[in-house]
Amino acid sequence: MSVETEEQARPASRSEAVAALEKDWGERPSLRSWFSTVDHKRIGRRYMVTAGIFFILAGTDAMILRTQLARPNATVLSPEAYDQLFTMHGTAMIFLFSTPMFFGFGNFLVPLMIGARDMAFPRLNAFGYWVFAFAGTVMFSSQLVGRAPDGGWFGYVPLTDTPYSSGINLDVYSLGLLFLGVSTTAGAINFIVTVVKMRAPGMSLNRVPLFVWAIVGTSFMVIFALPALNVANAMLFLDRRFGAHFFDPAHGGNTLLWQHLFWIFGHPDVYIIVMPALGIVSAVLPAFCRRGVVAYPLMVLAIVTISIISFGVWVHHMFATGLPQLSYSFFSAASTLITIPSGIQIFAWLFTMLRGRIVVRTPFLFVVGFIVTFVLGGFTGVMFAITAFDQQVTDSYFVVAHFHYVLFGGAVFPMIAGIYYWLPKFTGKMYAEKLSRWAFWLVFIGFNTTFMPMHVSGLLGMPRRIYTYPGDLGWDLWNLISTIGAYVLAVGLLLVLIGVLQAIRRGRLAPDDPWGGDTLEWATTSPPRPYNFVTVPTVHSVHPMWDERTTAALATDPPLPDHQAMATSELDGREEGAIEMPEASLLPLVSALGILVVVLGLLWGWYWFAGAGALLIFGTVARWMWPPERTPEEAGVAS
Amino acid sequence: MPTQTRRAGGFLLWFAVLGGALAWALHLVLAWGVDELTCRSGNTSVGGIPIRGIVGAGVVVPALITLAALLLAWRGWRRATAARDDDDDPRMERTGMMLLIGMCANALFLSIIAAGGAAVLVLSPCQ
Repeated sequence: MSVETEEQARPASRSEAVAALEKDWGERPSLRSWFSTVDHKRIGRRYMVTAGIFFILAGTDAMILRTQLARPNATVLSPEAYDQLFTMHGTAMIFLFSTPMFFGFGNFLVPLMIGARDMAFPRLNAFGYWVFAFAGTVMFSSQLVGRAPDGGWFGYVPLTDTPYSSGINLDVYSLGLLFLGVSTTAGAINFIVTVVKMRAPGMSLNRVPLFVWAIVGTSFMVIFALPALNVANAMLFLDRRFGAHFFDPAHGGNTLLWQHLFWIFGHPDVYIIVMPALGIVSAVLPAFCRRGVVAYPLMVLAIVTISIISFGVWVHHMFATGLPQLSYSFFSAASTLITIPSGIQIFAWLFTMLRGRIVVRTPFLFVVGFIVTFVLGGFTGVMFAITAFDQQVTDSYFVVAHFHYVLFGGAVFPMIAGIYYWLPKFTGKMYAEKLSRWAFWLVFIGFNTTFMPMHVSGLLGMPRRIYTYPGDLGWDLWNLISTIGAYVLAVGLLLVLIGVLQAIRRGRLAPDDPWGGDTLEWATTSPPRPYNFVTVPTVHSVHPMWDERTTAALATDPPLPDHQAMATSELDGREEGAIEMPEASLLPLVSALGILVVVLGLLWGWYWFAGAGALLIFGTVARWMWPPERTPEEAGVAS
Repeated sequence: MPTQTRRAGGFLLWFAVLGGALAWALHLVLAWGVDELTCRSGNTSVGGIPIRGIVGAGVVVPALITLAALLLAWRGWRRATAARDDDDDPRMERTGMMLLIGMCANALFLSIIAAGGAAVLVLSPCQ
C-alpha cells in the first residue's frame, strides 16, 4: 500500500472505529440506564451532586447554629435541638460531604488522567455510590424526625453509650457510619487497583499526575484507617443494643478505647479529606502558571510520607486524657515533623508561581485563598502539637477555629477551584468569570470573618458545643462577628452554586482544552465520550499534553476496539494486554438496597427484616460473582 | 540485565524506600505500647526489664534499621543515576525517583524517631 493510500484509509478506518466504540460504550437515555450505569463519569458527577446536596443541608445546620450563637442567651434552638444540629453538621461535613465529594472528583478524573477507559471495577464503583447515597439519606432522615445523632461527630463514650444517651439517635450514628464505610472502602480499593493496573502504557510511577498520587495516598489511608472506626462503631452498637460493655469500666471495658480507635481513624481522616484537595491544587496550578509544579519527586515524597505519618499522630487529640508524658512525646514528635512534608508542598506551589507566568483566573484565586487559609490552619496545628499549649485550649473555640481553617480552608477552597477548573470537562460548558470572582471574594472574606474571631473567643475561654452563653464573659462581640461572617460566606457559596447552574443552563460551549492543561483528561472531548479515548495514549512524560510525542501518538496510534480497556504493569506501565470491561447492571443497586434493609432492620430492632436484607445481599452478590461465559481472550487471561 | 532488573524491583528496593516507615511503625507500637500499657497496669518493668530499657531499645533498634534503609537508598540512588546516564532504560528513571523518595523519607523517619526518643533521656516512663 502506498503512503498516499494509507493516509486516505486511516481517517475512514478511524471514523469507523469511533462509530463502533460509540455503539459498544454508549448508553441510551432511559430510566433503566439511569439506575444501571457503571460509567465512571456519570457516577463521579452523581457523587459530586449528592455530596453537594449534603453540604447544603449540613451548611444550613451551621447557619442555624450561628444564628443561635449570635447573641447571648438566645432561644432560637433548644439544647436538645442544638446537640443534634452540631453533631449532624460535623458528621455530615466530614463523612457525607468532604470524602464523597473528592471521591466524585477522583471517579470522574482518575481514569481520564491515567488514560484509562473506566475504573477497574465499574460495578463496584456504582455499588459504592448507591451505598453512599442511601447512608446519607438514612442519616439526614433521622434529623427530620428529631432522632439525629446528638453526641458530637466523634461520639465520645460514655456520653454516647447507655444509659447516658437513650433513644436511637446514636444507633443512627454507629450504623450510618458502618453503612457508609462499605462505600468508602469499596471506592478506595477501586482507586488503587485502577491506578496500579490501568495506567496508560509508558506512564511509569515517575509520570503519574500528582492528583492521582494524592487519590492513591488517600485510598491507602482509607483502607488502613477505616477498620478502626468500623470496629469502634460496631462495638458501640453492641454496647448500646446488647449490653456488650466494651466501653464500660465497671464491667472490664475501657472508655479510652473509644478515643484510641476513633482517632486512629480520625487523624488520618484529616489527611483523607485534605490530601485530594492538595492534589487538586497541584493539578490546577500548572495550567495557570504555564509550567509544571516544581520538585515533582518531593511532592510525591510529601504525599507518601503524610499518608504514613498521619497514622502516628492520633494521640495529640488525647493530650488531656492523662496518659504518660513519655507516650505523648512520641506523638508530639510525629505531629511536629509531619509539617515538613506539608511545608514542602506549600513551598513547591509558591516556587511554581514564582517561576511561572501567572494567568489570574478564578480557579487560581481559590488556590491562593487555599494557601493563605491552610497555612494559618497549619500554624495553629503546630501549636496543638505542643502538649502544654494543647492542654490549655483543648475543647475551646480555638480548636473549632483551627480545624475549620484546615478543613474548610484546606479542602473547600481547592474543591471550588477544582469545580471551576474542570467544569468544562464535567459539563461541557464554561462558567462566567465575573460572577465567579464575586463568589471568591465573598467566600474568602466571609470565611475569615467567621472563623478568625473564634481563635479569640477560644482563648477567652469559650468552650465548644455550648448552646448559649451569658452576656458578661466578653464573648458577645466575637460571636456576633462570626455570625455575620457566616452569612457573608453563605452568600459567596450561593454564588458558586448559581454560577455552576448558570453555566450548565446558559454557559458557552467549552473547547476540549480551554486552559492548556498538562494532563490527559484535556485530550478528551468536553464532556468526554463514554469510552474516554479512541486510542489508548502512550505516555512519554509527566506532562503528556505538553509533550509532542504523546499528542502525536494520540492522533496516530490505532484505536483500541470493542468494550475493552488496557492493563499495564504496576511500576513501569508496560502494556500487558486488553481486558473486557463489564456492562451496565442493576446488581450494584440491588446489593446496596440489601445493605439498606439490613441497616434499617438493625436500627428498628426488626432482626427478621435485617436477615431478609442479608439474604438479598447474598443472592445478589452470588449472581454478580457468577462467572460469565467468556473466552480466555475476553477475560484477559489468555497466555 | 539481571543487575538492572534487581535495581528496578525486588526486596532491597522496597526496603530502601519503605524501611524507615516500617521501622518507625515498629518504634511507635513498641515504645508507646509498652509505656502506656505497663504504666497503666501499675508496673515499672516487664519480665524484670525496666520500661526505660525496653522503650530505649524501641528507639535505638528502629533508628538503626532506618539508618540502614537510608544508606541503602543513597547507594542505590547513586547507582541508578549513573545507570540512567549510561543507558536509556526508562526504568532507571523510575527507580531513581523511588530511591530519592526513599532517601528523603528515611531521613524524615529517622528525625521523628530521634525526636521522640530524646524524651526517654528526660522523662521518667510513668510520669
